[in-house]
Amino acid sequence: MEGAWGRILHPLQLTDSGRPQLFPGEVECQLLDGIDLELEGQQQQQQQLQPLRSGVLTLTTHRLLWVDEPHQRSGASVPLAAVCRVYPPKKSIKAIFASPRIRIQVWYASDGRISAVGADRSVVLTLVCRGQANIDSFLGRLEQVLQSKAWETDKASAPGSSSVILPPNSSRLPGAAASNSHASHSKWNPAMAGVSGILRKEQEQWEEADKNLQDAFHDLNALMAKAKDMVVLAEKIRSKLLGGSGGQSMVDEEEPGSKQEMQDWLLSVGITSPVTKESAGALYHQQLSRQLADFVKVPLQRSGGMLAMVDAYCLFNRARGTELISPEDLLQACSIWEKLDVPFRMRKFDSGVLVIQSKEDSDGQVFAKLVILIKTPEALKVGISASDAARAFGMAPALAKEYLLTAENQGMMEQMVFVSLQTCLKILW
Amino acid sequence: MRRRPGISGLQTAAATRDQYRSLGENVAKIRTDLMMEQLSIFRSQLEEFARKHKNDIRKSPAFRAQFHSMCAKIGVDPLASNKGFWAELLGIGDFYYELGVQIVNVCLSTRPHNGGLIDLEELRGLLSKQRRSSRDPITDDDCLRAISKLKALGSGFEVFSVGNRKLVRSVPTELNKDHNQILEIAQARGYVTSEEVQVSLMWHSGRVIDTLETLMKEGLAMVDDGHPDGIRRFWFPCVGSTSGAVEAGSELSS
Repeated sequence: MEGAWGRILHPLQLTDSGRPQLFPGEVECQLLDGIDLELEGQQQQQQQLQPLRSGVLTLTTHRLLWVDEPHQRSGASVPLAAVCRVYPPKKSIKAIFASPRIRIQVWYASDGRISAVGADRSVVLTLVCRGQANIDSFLGRLEQVLQSKAWETDKASAPGSSSVILPPNSSRLPGAAASNSHASHSKWNPAMAGVSGILRKEQEQWEEADKNLQDAFHDLNALMAKAKDMVVLAEKIRSKLLGGSGGQSMVDEEEPGSKQEMQDWLLSVGITSPVTKESAGALYHQQLSRQLADFVKVPLQRSGGMLAMVDAYCLFNRARGTELISPEDLLQACSIWEKLDVPFRMRKFDSGVLVIQSKEDSDGQVFAKLVILIKTPEALKVGISASDAARAFGMAPALAKEYLLTAENQGMMEQMVFVSLQTCLKILW
Repeated sequence: MRRRPGISGLQTAAATRDQYRSLGENVAKIRTDLMMEQLSIFRSQLEEFARKHKNDIRKSPAFRAQFHSMCAKIGVDPLASNKGFWAELLGIGDFYYELGVQIVNVCLSTRPHNGGLIDLEELRGLLSKQRRSSRDPITDDDCLRAISKLKALGSGFEVFSVGNRKLVRSVPTELNKDHNQILEIAQARGYVTSEEVQVSLMWHSGRVIDTLETLMKEGLAMVDDGHPDGIRRFWFPCVGSTSGAVEAGSELSS
């Protein structure tokens, strides 16, 4: 975002389809549409800022994101760490007729940018809710997220201070506090010397890990509390036992090679923050459509430019984990693509098959290639058949036939070529 | 252990090294065994949690993301609903949608081996392995119902019968590159036999039959049963030289 607002708010990267790019581990909690952003009072006049009108506000575990509507081409963010107070909308008779306003007091630093560090002054941001949004549930979520402070736990776990598994050859004493102080190094226990010392250390590490495992799965709350540690443990087990160069697979079931590959691929493209009805509300279909467009890019490339709708359904749902969408939701999301400015489209063949195609690989390009093919001296004499076209372009014969028929129908080919087509079609039947 | 001079010293040193090595190997083995045990505990716990606490997990987006991450890393499928009485009777609820996703998943991962054509029995077997913790076994009927729910996505997915086996095709004709491969073989003589295809491409017979029949339906192939050796030939007039095609034309039985 540029201009005066750009100096105050943090930047926000958007994907090709206009969805915000999230940090790793950042999850969307709620979306509201029709939100204006204003800076309160004097600061607004000083900076001569026009309010940001009518955007989509997204509350995530780490930030507040604002993206302009309807094109969703620019956006800004406010880190939640910088929020010091939230003022809910006043409940009065006047307020019934006006749009509810949520006022958020945020810290800002001397360079004028809202920030959590080095900030000594505060300013109030007003969110004017002009859409039909459920303000109370939003405020509830905001409260929850501010309390859980996900950004702080991220920082804490960054230098690897997990207490679950200690690296095997460390010189730290087992049972020492997670924050190693140098003092613990000096208290060297003679019982830890030599080979038996190493073995005993290993034993204690495993016992601790086992205990953590048992505790974590005691019930759901315990798991939620220990979730981060468990993810680290899972990654460790995976890299030691399941991954690695093919031959290392010591698990006793036969995982066919392609299945393992698929799992690895899914791990890399899993959608951490799927759009759900709970989070997006009225914006569900639109946001889902955008998220689908972002997701579909890689699978489409892997399958050579055309992806069957059934395959897309499976891959998208797998990436979403347990938040499945129905086939109807998928179709609706694809049909909205026309309205949004995304580089993909849905296409239906006469046989009823639905595919997703990139707009770049449009029909026009295939026809251009066809014309070139048909103009070769060989082709001018005998014409081209569906199988020739299929082999030339690396597509299935049925698809090639469809393209030829469409080309004929649209009169794209010249008269002479048109006759050749007729001839070759006669050969077909 | 004091180092001793001379040959006995060397022998002792070698023996000591061996001892250390075998100890190290033992430790590594024990470590691996322990890790395998942890893995299986982790797996079974995750599966149970996925089944029992599904709705609670979905309520918290942040935890949900972490849970999925754990499942993906450990290799546990988080889609684990039970069938339920009403779900089976009315065909509603998450169970059939989840099964649908799992079915397409299996088809996608076996596609490089079987070209998009899989036996229903094999499909069921692979699914049961994936759904270890589920208390209800998957029946053929469950699979068929789940597949029928996918109809809305276009008619690429089909179940058809060959003899008394049911086969599931997951690749629509328009996207099936198998056809091109047969056409390549046909270029040599203008025709192929199903045995030739089986041998040179190493497909199993079901895949060969299905592809040849589709090519016939598309009008690209013609059947010739008139040869003295009794083997059915499939002619492809569109490939090969025109002279070859003319010859073929005169040989074809009406």
